[in-house]
Amino acid sequence: MKTSRLLRAALMAYGIGIIAWLYLPLVSVTFASISKARYLSFPVKRYSMTWYTRALESDTVSDIVFTSLKVAVIVTVVSMVVGFFGALAFARYNWRFRKLYQKLILLPIFFPQTVLGLALLMWFNSVGIIPTWKTAVIAHLVWISPIATLIIAIRAYSFDAALEEAARDMGASTWVTLREITLPLLMPSVISAGLFAFLLSWGNFPLSLFTTGADSTLPEWLYAKMVSGYSPLVPTVGVLSIIASFCLVTLAVLFPWIMRAARKDR
Amino acid sequence: MQFAPAIPPGRYLYSGQTMSSEPILRLDNIVKRFGQFTAVDGVDLAIEEGEFLTIVGPSGSGKSTLIRMLVGMEEVSEGAIWLRGERIEDTPANERPTCMVFQSLALFPHMTVGQNIEFPLKIKGRSPAERKQRALELLALLRLPEHYYTRNVTQCSGGERQRIALARALAFDPEILFFDEPLSALDYRLRKTLEKELKDLHERTRKTFVYITHSLEEAMVMSDRIAIMNSGKFVQIAVADDIYAKPVSRFVAEFMGEVNLFDIEGTTSDDLHGTGIEIHVNGQAGEFGISLAPNEKGTLMVRPEFVRFLSSGETSDFLVRGILRAEYALGSRIQYKVETANGSKLTVENLREDRYQGAIGDAVILGWDIESTHIIRE
Amino acid sequence: MERLDRKLGTASSLPLLAILLVAFIAPMLVVAVFSAMPRKVFSVFNSPDFSAYAALLEQGYYRSLLWSLGMALASTVILFVVCWPLAFGMAKVFKRFTIVLTIAVVVSLFVSENIRLFGWVLTLMKGGLIEGHVRAWTGEGFESPLYSVPIIVFSLVYVYFPFMLFPLAQGIAMVPDDARQAAADLGASRWRILFEIDLPLAAPGIVVGSLLSFVLAAGALAESKILGGQTVIVIADEIETAFTYGQDWPLGSALSMVLITIIAALAIYGIAKVDLDAIMGRKGR
Repeated sequence: MKTSRLLRAALMAYGIGIIAWLYLPLVSVTFASISKARYLSFPVKRYSMTWYTRALESDTVSDIVFTSLKVAVIVTVVSMVVGFFGALAFARYNWRFRKLYQKLILLPIFFPQTVLGLALLMWFNSVGIIPTWKTAVIAHLVWISPIATLIIAIRAYSFDAALEEAARDMGASTWVTLREITLPLLMPSVISAGLFAFLLSWGNFPLSLFTTGADSTLPEWLYAKMVSGYSPLVPTVGVLSIIASFCLVTLAVLFPWIMRAARKDR
Repeated sequence: MQFAPAIPPGRYLYSGQTMSSEPILRLDNIVKRFGQFTAVDGVDLAIEEGEFLTIVGPSGSGKSTLIRMLVGMEEVSEGAIWLRGERIEDTPANERPTCMVFQSLALFPHMTVGQNIEFPLKIKGRSPAERKQRALELLALLRLPEHYYTRNVTQCSGGERQRIALARALAFDPEILFFDEPLSALDYRLRKTLEKELKDLHERTRKTFVYITHSLEEAMVMSDRIAIMNSGKFVQIAVADDIYAKPVSRFVAEFMGEVNLFDIEGTTSDDLHGTGIEIHVNGQAGEFGISLAPNEKGTLMVRPEFVRFLSSGETSDFLVRGILRAEYALGSRIQYKVETANGSKLTVENLREDRYQGAIGDAVILGWDIESTHIIRE
Repeated sequence: MERLDRKLGTASSLPLLAILLVAFIAPMLVVAVFSAMPRKVFSVFNSPDFSAYAALLEQGYYRSLLWSLGMALASTVILFVVCWPLAFGMAKVFKRFTIVLTIAVVVSLFVSENIRLFGWVLTLMKGGLIEGHVRAWTGEGFESPLYSVPIIVFSLVYVYFPFMLFPLAQGIAMVPDDARQAAADLGASRWRILFEIDLPLAAPGIVVGSLLSFVLAAGALAESKILGGQTVIVIADEIETAFTYGQDWPLGSALSMVLITIIAALAIYGIAKVDLDAIMGRKGR
């Protein structure tokens, strides 16, 4: 059955409409961030970059960015390692509790994050841990490392088990096989899992809200400002955060290309 | 590309004879169970040093499981494997001096051709210079151009990948080289070429090759000995000619291609008797090794190419009457289907120049000689 | 290599299992224990009296729960209808545009939910992107749709869009083209193909997508707070209030337990029905 050209065009138009809808709120935020007025009203009459200067000079903002960054970097590194092994257990090896394990690690993804955050707060409290950004790392990991595992598992599924068997057959030990064959072949997915981990941690709000204690991450700070009345710093810092994420995504997308170019130079 | 074999064909010894006192690999009652299912059901086998043995069987016969146990990728449920007199069934794959060429070839896609071939040498801790030298030697041995050393394996054709996998396995320098249907994914013509190359390589390297396949043709072209496997057991192990002409069971007879089979019984007068078939062997059965004891049941077998059309009045050791039902052109040969009075079908194959001069629906008489006849006693 | 596989499988699952044990299963147990404690205590070392559960019925918390579940159901149904054509396009019609769409949708996920919801406030408020421009051009404005139940459902649809889209597309990709072509060849209309072939064969994707969006929407908080004002108090909001302003941990825990039970029952039922290996494309061995 060939899809008619009309249907195809209609579906494409629909898709473009959906993308526009997804990004429309970001357009509003961007306009708000470059509006000069203290109280926002559309259409924007005068533009200025003063709020950006203010945001970049603010010590509070840089403290908060630093906290967010610390959390995201640690979550990324741990998720990549845990996700790599977790994915092998998920997709590659046949072991006794594999099916049960697959289902168990999906539960945190399905779980309402607000409730998870509050439960963790109670748990830390009852074992006498005072929440700081470090507890937020744990909270993020509960949600993000299963996601990283799934991303790597998709690639681990299409991995030909014969490659590992062949390496073993030629005398490679379990560890050497993992280092020489499995890891290099799964590396692209480990990197994309790391990218996801970083960005999801960077943007996470419901888990951070209850688990950071006195520390504050960027989304938390933005939320506090949002609910306490309008401040032009909110759209400005929001846009800065979005730009940082986009830069990272672009870098990651271009990474293989850069690597190839570098290899050719050598 | 033809290569003059260093050793004349036929040097390798066949069943019944032994080459050295001790086989290189001996299997002793190997059993493999997956839960309730028995995949390999008590297999014994002795593989001689330097021979090319092919294990042939339909899919699901257990041949893949068997070879995976021999290289150490599958555990043995029962039984022992001896390599040069040492028990190895509990030795893990990476500590056995054997190597396998996989069905998927299992070339490492993130490495160049050179890195793939050098992989086993790297594991053994050889120096980079020594590794490279050996890799280049192997490229030459397998007639791959030297500049392939830096090429990515994903850019190589099916036949080239096949040779790279072979080179890599040879770099490991195994005691025994196993093959798990490595040619099955290739097209017919390339497969035919590589079959001959593989046989040629065997003659040049004098290594022990153990090959599994479901294709009998492949087995016949390459091997010294063929082992037929069915339902987890070996049914017959012999040289190709014997398996073709003297199968030990109906399964082997039918697996080896088109065949005509008749239920038959010995008579008290040292003669044979079967319904729908006229037998005029006149007590010669014993002389040709096809006699049956009185009332002993057996199956009489004749291959289609030994059956011919008789003109009226002509006689033969065995005779069957029937109606010609169909004719198929098979290239150099013509195949006929003849239906007998009791409804069974016979297959006849003649060379094109011996084509039957008649039409579909003719009443015909078929005959063949005692020399081409074999009796299966099960 | 079964023995080796078993050993390696168990060993490599341990890091993730350790995280989940310490930071997922243990906290859930604490919530369960707390929910049985007398009201307003801060320690689990009290004798349980289940008074918090009694309060749930008496003080009308079920209304918040029904609002949450109702809006989650509505948004799931809308999401299914909105996502199906696009998911179909991604799986069967588009070629390069599928990649563009995937990247565009995934990248939008990386922007904090807060900022995106705040963006909708700026878009829809009186004097916002839409109303402001309409008034500037036509001289006449309109009432802002903000702070109402439909806008909360709208924002749930917006936020959980990717969670329906991708599983659906994956599910539809599993429908073999041969089956659709054969059905068409046998004279089935487009609608017949949809109901007889596409929907049943894409069922695993539909189950996962619907489950994900329903469960996430049922536990959502920010949507009703930022875009809904205080028109409706959702269950997650009640839970947060009980823990923070209310300082009543047992009540918060009991409310959580109710939500967790519903979600876990649905999630476990759904996950159990689906063969993960098949969806994610495991090769037979």
